[in-house]
Amino acid sequence: MLLSISWRNVWRNKLRSLVMVIAITLGLCAGIFSTGFYLGMADQRIDKAIKTELSHIQVHQNNFRQAHDITKFIPKGDSLVREFNDMPLVAGASPRIVIFSMIASAENGYGVKIMGIEPKFERKTTNIYTKIVEGNYFEEKKKNPIILGDKLAEKLKVKLGSKVVLTLQDVDNNIISGAFRIVGIFNTVNTTFDESNVFVKYEDLIRLTNLPAGACHEIAISVKNDEDVNLVKDQIAKATGSLEVMTWKELSPEMSYLTEAMDIYMYIFIVIILLALLFGIINTMLMAVLDRIKELGMLMAIGMSRVRVFFMIMLETVFLSLTGGIAGVTLGYLISKYFETHKISLARWGNVYTSIGYDPYVYTSLDWTYIINTTILVFITGVIASIYPAYKALQNDPAQALRIE
Amino acid sequence: MSIIQIKNLTKIYDGKHVEVKAVNGINLSIEEGEFTAVVGPSGSGKTTLLNMLGGLDRPTSGEVIINNVNIWNLSPSKLIDFRLHNIGFVFQAYNLIPVLTAKENVEFTMELQGRPSKERFERTKSLLETVGLGDRLDSRPSRLSGGQQQRVAVARALAPKPKFILADEPTANLDSKSTEMLLDIMEKLNKEEKITFIFSTHDARVMKKAKRIITVEDGKVLKDELK
Amino acid sequence: MQIPHLGKTLTLAWRNLWRSRWRTLITAASVFFGVLLSTVMSSMQEGSYSSMIDNIVKFYSGYIQIHKEGYWEDKTINNAFKLTDSLTEKVKEVPEVTNFAPRLESFALASSEEITRGSMIIGVDPQAEDKITNVSKWVVQGDYLKQDDDGVLVASDLAKYLDLSLNDTLVLISQGYHGISAAGKYPIRGILKFASPELNKQTIYMPLHEAQYFYSADSLVTALVLMVEDQYHLDKGIKHMRQILKEPYEAMTWDEMQPELLQFVEADRAGGIFMKAILYILIGFGIFGTVMMMMAERRREMGVMIAIGMQKNRLSLVLFLETLYIGFLGVVAGFLGSIPIIAYFYNHPIELTGDAAETMIQMGVEPYMYFSWLPSVFYNQVITVFVLTAVVAIYPIVNTYLLKVQMALRGT
Repeated sequence: MLLSISWRNVWRNKLRSLVMVIAITLGLCAGIFSTGFYLGMADQRIDKAIKTELSHIQVHQNNFRQAHDITKFIPKGDSLVREFNDMPLVAGASPRIVIFSMIASAENGYGVKIMGIEPKFERKTTNIYTKIVEGNYFEEKKKNPIILGDKLAEKLKVKLGSKVVLTLQDVDNNIISGAFRIVGIFNTVNTTFDESNVFVKYEDLIRLTNLPAGACHEIAISVKNDEDVNLVKDQIAKATGSLEVMTWKELSPEMSYLTEAMDIYMYIFIVIILLALLFGIINTMLMAVLDRIKELGMLMAIGMSRVRVFFMIMLETVFLSLTGGIAGVTLGYLISKYFETHKISLARWGNVYTSIGYDPYVYTSLDWTYIINTTILVFITGVIASIYPAYKALQNDPAQALRIE
Repeated sequence: MSIIQIKNLTKIYDGKHVEVKAVNGINLSIEEGEFTAVVGPSGSGKTTLLNMLGGLDRPTSGEVIINNVNIWNLSPSKLIDFRLHNIGFVFQAYNLIPVLTAKENVEFTMELQGRPSKERFERTKSLLETVGLGDRLDSRPSRLSGGQQQRVAVARALAPKPKFILADEPTANLDSKSTEMLLDIMEKLNKEEKITFIFSTHDARVMKKAKRIITVEDGKVLKDELK
Repeated sequence: MQIPHLGKTLTLAWRNLWRSRWRTLITAASVFFGVLLSTVMSSMQEGSYSSMIDNIVKFYSGYIQIHKEGYWEDKTINNAFKLTDSLTEKVKEVPEVTNFAPRLESFALASSEEITRGSMIIGVDPQAEDKITNVSKWVVQGDYLKQDDDGVLVASDLAKYLDLSLNDTLVLISQGYHGISAAGKYPIRGILKFASPELNKQTIYMPLHEAQYFYSADSLVTALVLMVEDQYHLDKGIKHMRQILKEPYEAMTWDEMQPELLQFVEADRAGGIFMKAILYILIGFGIFGTVMMMMAERRREMGVMIAIGMQKNRLSLVLFLETLYIGFLGVVAGFLGSIPIIAYFYNHPIELTGDAAETMIQMGVEPYMYFSWLPSVFYNQVITVFVLTAVVAIYPIVNTYLLKVQMALRGT
């Protein structure tokens, strides 16, 4: 009964209520859409980080990552790789020799991260083999093949088939160099990655560095289901004993920060929107109460308890807020849904995004939990907004209200 | 000397299915110094007639000539200006601007006319004294009784020296004592300063004091009696 | 349109605001909230942009650089050029240039006994370079380079990585001019610690003549770094430069050399504008609602005012002013609130920790949140609120002109 009265009261002054409802709708639509936008961006980044750069889990010798000392390798890395590949939850494991050193062409020289990989294993842990734009992913039987990013190739002024020289320190600290032929050029969209990573065959690099057979500096592991990452990490930690085992989040503070901070920032944005709307809602309800001050006094005089009156005003405020809230959230959700399959181009600042690892476009991504939580926040906003107007409504002296004018 | 001439004044409203002739070809003439009441039941067309007379509602046909000016030929802004200088209004209620004091309310129209501040202040003081509120210059309307507010309204209406004062049921919300006071003031102004008053009213006391009573019914003048 | 008695009109509008004290205050409070948030946010954004740009421009790239044509696309030592007297004469002709210094920059492998790492060699004229970028202030251990020095300065993270300290020997290997092998040993004279993490990981400063010898690039430089007084003088300076300088040289400004920086600033600003726009639009709705209620309540009174002779334009002005006043109150309160906040954080930038800090360092930015005092941070809000209230005020103005007096008098 009270519900129906409250609902109808909201619409007594249609224009006034409508202005507020439209405002709430707009605000929440913007908030939800933004959430979808930024979450989509973050999801894309994380996806790329895992599939192209980090994989799900990496195993290293303790202290390897601090200085990338070539002597801190994992002995018998090959048997570990076989063991990991047999685990049921693991999609693939691949061994790598990792050296930070120099690559040079006839024209130029640059510092890069050189990785000696086993292509057939590597295909299961990273998707770089899908990013080849020229040539192929180690499919030919050439001597000392190397693949590198298109940006790096540009800077070195080399192309498919050109020769480059890798200069590095072997395990006995001798400086040695080897000539390699470019068999493939890749583009991962992440320009920084493309400029600083080159891949050669494990067998070629192990020969060059004189590392013991089966040794490697890094084992990358990808899991079949994202949720199993921590579980698999534990399994691997048990299997390796003293080696360092880290998940992608632990490896990259940027990724870890991204996942945690994104949520918070989005909710903060929505809270700010709701605060901005709060003032308007309070004013609207205040006027709605003051207009009816005599009527409210009358209601109290004929026996409606103060609690009921307070509750009625609160209901009206909540109805007002939720009408706009639900409309806004739905609209925002629909718009987000559309852009889940139609990408939003960021071409204008494309360079900026690719240089820090983001795609120059966004597909939005929204979770039910955001929708529900936002609606709850709208409800709470309505309740808070109703406090002052409801208090004002109760200020009435019923006797005064009934005085005939 | 006639200051107002109403010629064949008609007002037709387009109702939903039928035309409503609120005022149907009224002819009237009002002289300077009159104290005239226009009476009639609701729906008689009395309010519409006075709205047209006061330049507030455009006639469908006919003329309202005040001081030889055909007011409905004036442009909207010139009409507002004309009202400022020539017509004083006293409404039933809500005459005064709530955020201005009694003095400021009375001054308001003179300010709109652009009169110098010394002249405004002196005239305001004298008018408020005439209506018996010389000591309430700085009170806001919320602090004045209904009767006092109406008296300030009279002072305000007089301030710009209009040709006549149009009062729409000025006593409707007042008790008998205030009504008495208000009517006495208006009568005094009429007798001593020859100020023309035109009332619309139901109030018997107003009709008693009136020197001419125009009865309106169904948009036409039924009776026009001089006492 | 004459506005006689403007003072009275202003007063009338002001007093009308306070008829409903709470309503006015709540509406002004919403503007206050918006102004406060936007001002602080803008201040944070502009602060971080300034520090990013400063880090690059003042401490590294300079405002303008002169190269051999084509060097910037293809930064190889083979694109170095001879620094002739006629070139320096031409540079001195440009009035906006305050200082200049030569550089020979290229890549090299830096090693200690055990460890090797890629690094950026910056060959400089120690005195000239210090005048421009004040490098000497970044020296935390040891001494700055002397004019005829034969040692090097190493950035702190690089030194740590190589496990080298003061007076140790640094080995450098690279490819020199026209492909000649470059190799050399140098004592470490000092350790540099920059604000920019990017520079800390890879920079080595060498005296110019040593670098030229190392790379077999006798009397060659890769760039002439120029400073001007500030961004304003930059535009005039580069214009002059380009008039005087022809091939085979080219002059570039810092934003031409690193467009990503400016683009990043623009992209970030755009994101901020989006948020602020939403905020202000919502606040605008709130003001609109309030104004609408004010009009509805005073319909009758407005009828009276026009009846007794107030021109519609004057009445509109009163209503317009009332709307503006509300915005004005909010803006003033907003500034009063934001000034102490910004003043405090301007002098005490927020230090970030943890993952957030790490992320920023990885992106090459210091892990601090700087604030800015730029006037635009403040006057942008004033303009926005003014425009907002002006737009909202259209409603009462139109409403007044459409008002039919007799309907208004009858009403409520």
